[in-house]
Amino acid sequence: MAQSSESSQISGTPIGKGRWHMNKSRREAFWGMVFVSPWVTGLLLFAAGPLIASFILSLTDFNLVKPEAVRFIGIDNYVHMASDPLVATGLLVTLKFALISVPVTMCASLGAALLVNSNNLFGRNIFRTLFYMPIQIPVVASTLVWMGFLNPETGWLNQIIAFFGFRGPDWINSVTWIYPALTLFGLWGIGNFMLISLAGLQSVPTSLYEAARIDGAGPWKMFRNITIPLMSPILLYNLVICLITTFQYFTQAYVLTNGRGDPDNATLFINLDLFHEAFRDNRMGYASAIGWLLFVIVLILTVIVLGFARNRVYYAGGES
Amino acid sequence: MYKQSRPSKIMGLLGATVLVVTACGSSATASPSAAAPSAAAPTVAPSLVNITPAPIAAGPGPNGGVVVSWFIGLGAGTQPAQIGPEQAFAAAYNASQKDVYLSLQIVDNTQAANILKTQIAAGAAPDIIGPVGVEGLNIFRDQLMDLAPTIAKNNYTFNGVDPKLVDFFKLGNNGATVGVPFAVYPSFLYYNKALFKEAGLPDLPTKVGDLYQGKPWDLDNLTSVAEKLTVDKAGNDATSAKFDPTNIVQWGFDSQYEDNSARAEDAWFGAGSFLAADGKTAQIPDYVTQGETWFNDGVWKNHFIPTQAQISSALLGAGGEFGSGNLAINESHTWFTCCVAPPKGTKQFDFGFAINPLVNGKITAPLHADTFSILKSTKVPDAAWKALTAMVASTDLLTTYGAMPADQTKQKAWEATIDKGFPGIKLDWSVPEAMLAYPDVPNHQSWMPDYAKAKAALQAFQNKYRTTSGVDITAELATLKTTLQGIFDAAPKS
Repeated sequence: MAQSSESSQISGTPIGKGRWHMNKSRREAFWGMVFVSPWVTGLLLFAAGPLIASFILSLTDFNLVKPEAVRFIGIDNYVHMASDPLVATGLLVTLKFALISVPVTMCASLGAALLVNSNNLFGRNIFRTLFYMPIQIPVVASTLVWMGFLNPETGWLNQIIAFFGFRGPDWINSVTWIYPALTLFGLWGIGNFMLISLAGLQSVPTSLYEAARIDGAGPWKMFRNITIPLMSPILLYNLVICLITTFQYFTQAYVLTNGRGDPDNATLFINLDLFHEAFRDNRMGYASAIGWLLFVIVLILTVIVLGFARNRVYYAGGES
Repeated sequence: MYKQSRPSKIMGLLGATVLVVTACGSSATASPSAAAPSAAAPTVAPSLVNITPAPIAAGPGPNGGVVVSWFIGLGAGTQPAQIGPEQAFAAAYNASQKDVYLSLQIVDNTQAANILKTQIAAGAAPDIIGPVGVEGLNIFRDQLMDLAPTIAKNNYTFNGVDPKLVDFFKLGNNGATVGVPFAVYPSFLYYNKALFKEAGLPDLPTKVGDLYQGKPWDLDNLTSVAEKLTVDKAGNDATSAKFDPTNIVQWGFDSQYEDNSARAEDAWFGAGSFLAADGKTAQIPDYVTQGETWFNDGVWKNHFIPTQAQISSALLGAGGEFGSGNLAINESHTWFTCCVAPPKGTKQFDFGFAINPLVNGKITAPLHADTFSILKSTKVPDAAWKALTAMVASTDLLTTYGAMPADQTKQKAWEATIDKGFPGIKLDWSVPEAMLAYPDVPNHQSWMPDYAKAKAALQAFQNKYRTTSGVDITAELATLKTTLQGIFDAAPKS
């Protein structure tokens, strides 16, 4: 009884006519829920709904152009995936690209943020705008521009290389050079990460640098012992998002090779394979299963990263 | 040591899941390399064409007739200049009678197949699709109505149409007739007369049986002409010992604006199928081996055909090879008249039509043909057939699509409309007319099990030899055969 009475007091007690009293933390929680409810509603309607539908589809042989012949096949799609060489290729390609692209993107965005945060840089605001500007260009358009830039015959990059007396590679059509080429593409779009890193850099108290300087610390020591630890939540966020979006990589590969995965399946990212299965080969059930595989992989990687970072990320005012 | 409680772990896992779900669902926050789209809805260029007008939900149309929906987008018909005439045709047709109300649905060409698949899956398929070519029909083969009984029931006659072309559309399951001849696109050679003049070469033959430079117009003759028309930066042609293949500025030959697959580019070497007569065995026809060897040698050994990197370079108009003025001969179809001229502001040139060369003593002119088709899910087959016959008979629609009429009695009028686009250039229309007599049967786009996947394998083969020097074509074709067999074996049964 006592417990019941206590909980009723915490959750709210009617006072007066039609009015409820809530303590401060409950009131904050209530309004917090009110404010996030549009997002939660959107998540439930537009993400959870399709998620459930795709999971159900993944247990069928649903074919887009033969919808009348749909059958429940249990986990057959998942079993088939294990022996599907294209799924293996798709995962390997995505992983290979992630291993190159994620570190490069992370380092480049942090480097750009440090650069445009430096007091020694003339016209910082101009550079901030210039670094961010490519984000505004549609991916399809920028991919087409990069295709011209990287063309081995008439592209600017190879002409610059030729100026120094070397013959540039066939960036787009070579199995070896396609990943550096795609990573190079990616560097053009680091503006978002740079901006987030810049915000992180600016939130580091200058007093810490001053104190360190008085103690005789050099730039590298300050960067390693002050900047990096204090920016660690930002870097973690960037890393997780970077990882997730790398596993979603699609548009550039699609535009670059007319959706074929050339050269020699080197750009057959797992999402491109999923697209082929769903919309080229009409196997929507199987494509849904691949979608779930991708989801689980990304979830596991995210959990691993978050777990790995648990004792390495500094949260001011919270547990580290 | 800090130990996490079980609820905290669960909440952490849930948090990670929500993070993944929300990040996967939106690319607005950040991306490693420009914004990446979600897996479920790959980003594409926004459609230029909206559904127009809004589909009618149910009941009779405004003219009191049965509503027949016409899906446009699988082939021609989605260009801004084509939409007005299509709407005008539908309006005129709807005003001319009260039995059928034609309702248009025009969608972006690049997404049309996906949209149609989604509509079929949702049980909201249109009644008529088209104009659509053989490839589009292959993709929706299982959904197409056999028109033969309807044709017989209505005593429909194919005025002015070659009977061979009527048979051409027996493309459905078990030879079902899935279309009525509407437009044809024979292939032939387009050549840049200015480059020929510059090289001191006479114009190419325009009549079957004509000699070229005193020799039969055959593959060897074409090869030697193409080599003479391939020129490096210093002005040496490919027959010269001084020729520098690393600095080519002009190429002799290519097959452009085909369907981007190996079997389309060499279809003028002969006709055949990658699917054996038993309907399940993969095969590489002899003409394909001959054709692909010729193309591979042309690219890497003799250099008169551009590599993929050269095709996409600025020298060849970033894909617009013939229009760049740096390609001498291009094998393509009548539809290429759309794009043959160089872009405005660049050097214009005179061009001509020539017949395809003899290969192994035979001429083959790969044929494309467009039609309208009725989906078997239609609930109004008679009304759909009535509308379809009106569409096929419409000269206005033929003009709108720039398509050569299948009805031979209408071809001269169509040719005159194309001529108007090239003032000062005399096009010899006897060439495409003559090439209609040499279609590739079986057609190079003829059906294969799991068509789209099989075609992708052919495209990958083509891309490999066009991008890689030293490819062993025989070995690659053997690999292709194995790949195709795997696709055929795994294909869902019709």
